[in-house]
Formats: sequence, structure tokens, C-alpha cells
Amino acid sequence: MSEISLTDLLGMPVVDATGIRRGRVRELAMIPHDDTLHVASLIVRTKTGDRTLPFTSLASINGEVQTNSAESAWPLSGDAEGLFLLERDLLDQQIIDVHGRKVVRVNDVDLYRELGQGHISLKVASVDVGPRGAIRRLLKGVVPMSALRKLLLQIPQRPIPWEFVDLVETDPARRVKLKISLERLSKLHPADIADIVEDLPPDEREAVFETLNEEVAAETLEEMDPKVQKSIVESLDSDRAAEIVEEMDPDAAADLLGDLTEDHTSQILQEMAPADRKEITELLEYGENTAAGRMNTEFVALGINASAQDAIETLRHYEGGVETLSTIYIVDSQGTLVGAVPLAKLVLATPLTPLLALIQEPLISAPEGANDHDVAELFDKYNLLMLPVVDDHKKLTGVITSDDVISLLRAKL
Amino acid sequence: MKFFKRWKIRLLLFLAVVGPGFITANVDNDAGGILTYSSAGAQFGHLLLWTMIPVTLALIVVQEMCARMGAVTGKGLSDLIREEFGFRVTFFMMIGILLTNFGNVVTEFIGIATSLELFGLSRYYTVPVCCLIVWLIVVKGQYKSVEKVFLAASFFYVTYIFAGVLAHPAWKEAAIATIQPPALSAFRNQAYLFMVIGVVGTTIAPWMQFYLQSSIVEKGVTKRGYPASRLDVITGCVFTDIVAWFIIVACAATLYVHGFRDIRYAADAAQALRPLAGDYAYILFAVGLFNASLFAASILPLSTAYTVCEGLGFESGVGMKFGEAPVFYWLYTLLIIAGGAVVLIPGLPLIKLAVLSQVVNGVVLPFVLIFMLLLINKKSLMGEYVNSRMFDVVAWGTTIIMIVLSLAWFWTLRGGAT
Repeated sequence: MSEISLTDLLGMPVVDATGIRRGRVRELAMIPHDDTLHVASLIVRTKTGDRTLPFTSLASINGEVQTNSAESAWPLSGDAEGLFLLERDLLDQQIIDVHGRKVVRVNDVDLYRELGQGHISLKVASVDVGPRGAIRRLLKGVVPMSALRKLLLQIPQRPIPWEFVDLVETDPARRVKLKISLERLSKLHPADIADIVEDLPPDEREAVFETLNEEVAAETLEEMDPKVQKSIVESLDSDRAAEIVEEMDPDAAADLLGDLTEDHTSQILQEMAPADRKEITELLEYGENTAAGRMNTEFVALGINASAQDAIETLRHYEGGVETLSTIYIVDSQGTLVGAVPLAKLVLATPLTPLLALIQEPLISAPEGANDHDVAELFDKYNLLMLPVVDDHKKLTGVITSDDVISLLRAKL
Repeated sequence: MKFFKRWKIRLLLFLAVVGPGFITANVDNDAGGILTYSSAGAQFGHLLLWTMIPVTLALIVVQEMCARMGAVTGKGLSDLIREEFGFRVTFFMMIGILLTNFGNVVTEFIGIATSLELFGLSRYYTVPVCCLIVWLIVVKGQYKSVEKVFLAASFFYVTYIFAGVLAHPAWKEAAIATIQPPALSAFRNQAYLFMVIGVVGTTIAPWMQFYLQSSIVEKGVTKRGYPASRLDVITGCVFTDIVAWFIIVACAATLYVHGFRDIRYAADAAQALRPLAGDYAYILFAVGLFNASLFAASILPLSTAYTVCEGLGFESGVGMKFGEAPVFYWLYTLLIIAGGAVVLIPGLPLIKLAVLSQVVNGVVLPFVLIFMLLLINKKSLMGEYVNSRMFDVVAWGTTIIMIVLSLAWFWTLRGGAT
């Protein structure tokens, strides 16, 4: 097994079984649908047109490509649909380095020569994003091969193993055909995905958001700059946008929709499930910079007679975000806020302790109209993790979580 | 106080509307621009005014192409060249751009040095201090806030219009010279040819195309938001060239008329305006030149570092730390230090050097244009947004004319040597 670079392969002479030169290597084609690791065929430019050279007829690759068949046995290349061409689709393009968590540009591709089943095959080992690939491409054909090889050995390599590479394909049809799915990217933390996606051009960003599953897409979107959020949602179909927005925290979703045009907002709302739609429509009615505009309408509230055990049971079935779990609220039959119980106290209490015995004093809450400054002050003064928001009748309508306040404060730094 | 507040609100409103096109156009009238236009007016009077209309047209077409490419592809010009033409072509293009832009950086520092020398400040203090200011603005991440100050201050450009009016130019002759090209024999004059290339090179500078396209991308302009950007670009181009016209006319009416044909220092240009327009215009001239130079000096090295790093695939971005993007920051730092250092070499003919850097712009321009034209007419890239026939004609026309002019100039150089 030895390594060879894409640059070395491109333009390499191809000889047939009788030793006569028939053409030069023009492309390396993969069929990712069948095999995401191996090159499926070489495309050879001959006098009679571009021909596809299957690996089964390859004898060796050593300065030139030797085959064990005649030119007429190599079929003429048809259209490249369903093929992933290394020179066209990978070289010089931007890819996602999932391990290094950034977008990088490909200078060269390193392949392994493998021998097996009587013929040679090529396996993609890594993409080179460092100076070695760059210099190889710059000097190939200008400097004698042996001198170039010696020089290249002096230059440090910066390879990204192929298993850490994710590709972005902007054409939806090709994405399906080539089975490009961003499976590695989607396993990263949404905040990291957001950083990576912000480095991509708009079409690629759109492609990422069409490919990720809704839940990951929603969490990623929440981590992004509001300006970028807006442009991404604007570029998506309204049903796809609705799928993602449904998965977002209602407060973040409302902030986002509030930035869009009224037409677009109502289109997206139309596509959403009725319950989510109602929640967000209500939030949209509040001023964006008030406590009510910042609040999340998903939280845990129990009646005054509930015990610690009841509360824990409710938490088990709670579907909202975990950040809204740090405090559990107690409301009376009218929905009026009565008390707040920190999660820690609840967990430490015996199952039958009444919730009312666990409440934190004093009970801090904010009116719906409280501005950002008041909200931040309350968080600071009382060292809160969550702040309940109440309407004019002291009815609990939502909660503000500390992560919202941190984002808010950071935006003002 | 109330007046100030209202004024501030108006200014903010204006700045909110101003887009990348207008900013680029403003930076276009940098030290190289001012000094080249001044020299053109001083040396040849009205003889170069005819270039203004065709150059404006070409500028609009070229800038619009950049803005369109940025909006449609969401990628910078060097990214596109890399993706479509491969590493080797990009490498040589980037070397060319780096050298050309270095000439422009030097010119910005020439503008800084000479404008502050009008106030009696030695360049041996002012240039290092300004180098440091420029470097810190970017490295400390303050560029966005400083940009607004520069932009507001660039209204000093309007003073050139006043200066032009106050210099009592020969309006009628100037108007005729604007629409009537000189006899073909004028082009046999090597100095004239040199100046024509310089005027085009400074107006349609190669680095601006890279800068504008990146700004459009960074601002997140998309296909839908693009018509607004087009208007922004056109307004900017027209404004730039009106200012350019007035600089030439003002210098023609003063320096040229009084037989003061050879500008050696910025002070020459300013001083010639002094007896006619008084101390006021003289100070404004210096302040305007200083602002323009410092503004461009804080953009050019940064834009160059971005262009080169993006094309060659190095990490880039002011959001990164020095260690994360070493090539980017070193390139940026060296451009500033070396650019400033050149100006401090004693005895250099600074104004001549400034004009020469703009001529180099003019010679490099057609190469950039060819790449732009090839890119923008790729259906796979631009879809329905490829060039219209008219745009192709103007852009290819500009390319060919600039190649012919450059070859003609090289030819005269050869003739001069033998």
C-alpha cells in the first residue's frame, strides 16, 4: 500500500495491454452511493473521446497507468450524473473539516494504492489543505519529478483524514443521488455547527439547513447571529422553515419570525402545527425588548397541592428545553404565581414533601412590560437561573432563562 | 444640543442607507486618485477630461459585475478564481495583486506623509504613528466603528468641488473638453499615454473589485436584495467621477494656467489653490487628502490580506487570533510596515511614485477584467445572471483598450530607450 496524490495522477499517461499510449488521466470518479471510500473509475482522455476505465482492468500505476485491456474495451464516458469527480468536485473546493471544526479549501487529495483481487484499486486517504499540496500543484511539470519529490518531503503535511470530511452539495437532486448527508457534521454541538455554517457561502448554508434533521437545524439556528438566521430562513421553502421553527424554543422562534416580513411570517405560521402557531403568535404580539418578548412559554408549573414526587413525575414527561427545568413553579387554580422551587431542592427532598414547603423566598417575578435592563438587573441581584414573567393579574405567562440574558448582555458588550 | 442631536440622527440614517458600493467609490478617491487627477490637470490642463465619461461608464459596468457576482454566488472574487481556474493560475494572480496593491499601500502612506507635511509635521513621525494607528484599528477589531468616522469625514471630498468652483475655471472650455477627445496624435506623447493609463488605473483599480465583491458578500446581499445594491454602486461611481472631474478642472485652472506643470509634492497642488481660494481651501485640501489616505490605508492592506489568503486557502479573518491566522496577520502587518518604510526613504520622487502605482493598476486591470468576464459568463455559476450583451461589449471593450494602451506605452518606452 503506497500513497499517491490526485495531482500526480491527473494527466498521467495511460497505456493499453500492448504497451501503446492511448491517452491521459482526466478525472477520478467515485460513486458515493455505492462506495464512499474507493475511486470507481478513471476517466481517460483519448483521441476518440473521454473513456471510462474501470479498475478491474488496471495492472499498475507507476509513473504511468498500465492496463490489461484494449482501448475499445473502455466504454465512452456518458454524462457524469451520479458521479463524484475528484478534480471538479473536490479539488480547490471548500469542505468541512469536522475534526478541526472549520471550513477549509482543498489543495490536493491523497490516495492509497491497494492491491487486491488481482487488480489495483485507489482508496481516498485524506485531503491536503496545507502547503505540501499547494507547492506540488504549483511546481508540477516545471521542476523535474525527482527534485520535486525530494522538496515535498521537507514540507510538513496538513492532511485531513477522509473520514473527517463532510461535503456540501447545493443541488438537492445531486445530494440525493450522491448520498451526501452531512452525517458527521450533524453530530457536532449545534454551537460548533453554527460557527462552521457561518463561514460558508449562502447557497451552501441553505443546503446545510435542508440536509440537517429539524431538531439539529433548529438548535443550530438558535446559535446563529440574528442577521444570518434571517437570511437562512428567507432562503428556505416555507414548509421547511416551518419544520425547523417548530423545533426552536418559542422565544427564539418568535424573535426570528419578528424580523421577517409579515407575509413571510404568516406563510411560515400557516405551515406550523396549530399549538405551536398559537404560542408563537402570542409571543409575537409583545414588544421584542420587553420581558414578555424575551420569555419562553414552555415551563413546568404545578398546583399548590402537588408533592415533590408529582413534580418529578411531571418533569419526566416534559418535552420543552432542559434550560427551562432549573426552577419549577407553583400556581393556584387561577394560574396565579404562588411560588418557585429550585430543581436542586426538589431533587434532595423526600418524595412526599409538599412543594409549598420547598419554595424559595422571596418570590421574584417580572411584569410583562419590564425592559431588558430591569430583567438583567433582577438576574444579577438575586443570582437567578430563571425569572418568571407575570401579567397584570399576577398570572404566570412565561419564563426567562439565564442563557437568554447572557446572549442579551453579550450583544451589548 | 437639540440641533446636534437632530444632525446626528440624520447622519445615522444616511449611513444606514450607504452600502458597500458607495464606500468603495469613496475609497476610490484615495491618495493615488487625488494625486493622479491633480497631476493630470496640472500637466495637461483639460486634455484628459474626455476620459471621465467613458471611464465612469466602464467603472459602473465593472463594479456592477462585481456586486452581481457577489450577490449571486455569495463568494469573493479570489474564491471564484480559485474554484474555477485552479491553484496555479490563482497563485500567479495573487502575486500580481499583492505587488500591485503594495504599490497602492505605499501611495496611501505618501498621501499621509505629504498631507501632514502641509501642516509642518515631519513624515518621520507621522508615518510610523499612522502605521500603528491603522494596524491597531484592525487588530483591535475596531474597524467597523472607525469606518463610520472615515465615511463621514470623506465628505471633505465635496471641498474639491468648492475648490474647483472658487478657482474660476474656464467652464465652457472644460465642458467642451469633456465630450471631445483630443486628436489621435496626442497619444504619441509618452507622458500623455502614461497619464491616461494612470487615470483609468486609479479610477478602476483592480483591488477595488476584490474589495467590493467581498463587502457585498459580507453584507449578506442576495439575489433579492441585489437591485438596491446596484443603485448603491451606480450612485457611488457617479459621485467619485464628479469629484475626479473637479479635481482635474481645479488643477487645470490654477497650476496648468500658471505654467506650474510638474507636481512634486502635494503641497504644490495645495499651494497653487491658496492664493485663489484662501487658507480655508488650502487646509481642507490637506485634511481631505489625509482622511482619504488614512481611510484607504486602513482598508487596502486588510483587503489585500483577505484576497490573497482566501485565494490560496489560508485562514483569514479579523475575528481570529494572531496564532490562528498567522499568514493573514503577517501579510497584513508586513504590507503596512513595508509600505510605510518606503515612504521614509529619503529623496524618492513621491508624487511620481504615486502616479506610477496607479499606472501599474491600469496595466494589471485587463487581467482582472478577463477573469471577471470569464466567471460572470459561466452559466453554471451565474445562471440567468450572466452578463447582458451591452455589459459584455463595455467590459471587453475596456479590457481591449487597456491592453492596447499598455502595449502602446511599453512601445514608447522602448522607443525612448533606443
